[in-house]
Amino acid sequence: MDSKFKINDEVIVDSRSSTGHCRTPAYIRGKKGIIERICGRYPNPEEIALCKKDPKIVTLYRCRFKQMDVWDNYSGKDSDTIELEIYEHWLNDA
Amino acid sequence: MNENYLKMGPHDVGGEDSLPIDTTDNNMTHWEKYANALRIVVSSKRIITLDELRYHTEALGDQYFEIGYFERNCLSLHNICIQKGIYDMELFQKIKSKKISEFDVPIVDLPDVASINHIHDGKPHKHNVSDFQEDESGDGPPDYYFDTLAIAQIFIDQGLITNDDITLKIEQFDNIFPNRGKAVVAKAWHNNLFKEALIKDAKKAISDIGIELETFADIICMPQTDTVHHIVVCTLCSCYPRTLLGMPPSWYKSRSYRSRVVHEPREVLAEFGTIVPESKEIKVHDSNADMRYLILPPRPSNTEDLSEQELSKLVERDYLVGVRLPK
Repeated sequence: MDSKFKINDEVIVDSRSSTGHCRTPAYIRGKKGIIERICGRYPNPEEIALCKKDPKIVTLYRCRFKQMDVWDNYSGKDSDTIELEIYEHWLNDA
Repeated sequence: MNENYLKMGPHDVGGEDSLPIDTTDNNMTHWEKYANALRIVVSSKRIITLDELRYHTEALGDQYFEIGYFERNCLSLHNICIQKGIYDMELFQKIKSKKISEFDVPIVDLPDVASINHIHDGKPHKHNVSDFQEDESGDGPPDYYFDTLAIAQIFIDQGLITNDDITLKIEQFDNIFPNRGKAVVAKAWHNNLFKEALIKDAKKAISDIGIELETFADIICMPQTDTVHHIVVCTLCSCYPRTLLGMPPSWYKSRSYRSRVVHEPREVLAEFGTIVPESKEIKVHDSNADMRYLILPPRPSNTEDLSEQELSKLVERDYLVGVRLPK
């Protein structure tokens, strides 16, 4: 199955809240970044945590964010970055 | 900063203000090693998945930071077992009481620990020095140890795991896993082709030299360069390439490190004695899902004549997480 995004695409992490187990930290929700690489397809941890049978297989991306875009009053350098792994259902077009 | 309402729970600490980091690695006690081994055996056999364990740990609420890391693991494992009906409280209490009674011996001067041989469950049983670490205070092992022993015993009685599984895992964490990462980095320092292969596809390169990592996760290798400094954290729990580096140090699992390194990496690095020049980019990797990270430090200067074996002695764990650099 094709992945929705390709390398260097601009994306925004969904800013919805969540209940239960989830691997998208609060601090990155709503932030804009780019796709750094496509990691492959993995069972959705949100469903594994609930012991769902045959959890949905989803594409996982590594995303790169400028620290200046993530934190208000970031004290480091403009060039500093942070990279996280985000599942496709948490990513929107920028 | 993001609004607090988005926070998933007590574990979701990335970006919080927190205390300075205690950068010393407190060695694990025997019960912690046992609890860790049980957790890894249970999840690698898919009896209970890692995500289930995380979910139940996150659901501890206020208790999350009131008790220690291994206590949290123990309690979440127990809660899952009760919820799934793997055992009931009556059976658990019965086995736990038996485990406690096995420790309930009169206090006498300890003989040389290595010479202690006695009978457990009809089999000769030998103690290691580490078995007595908790006893230094005179209080004996923590109550969570008996919980952990009881849970393990029930799994063993049900034929889900064996005692040997746990013993092997403790042994691997003590003596095998921590040496793998050091060997891999020494080889990369010594052999440019291997270094290139490692950066291209770390799990494959490591497998090609005969090290099969007992993990579902993929490994990504990031080389430190003159222009970029890499550093790894897991803000949500403690994801770490355990089968390559061993157990994460205590600071890696601490609230301070997990909260702060994402939003003030230079300050955190300075607490480890690592001053990164302003001209360098700092790249933080939040290891939050299915990838695990190995940071490849630069080869120390004046080591051109050293063999791979000699180089491996210069590799320190802290380099491989990115908190320190070789001189």
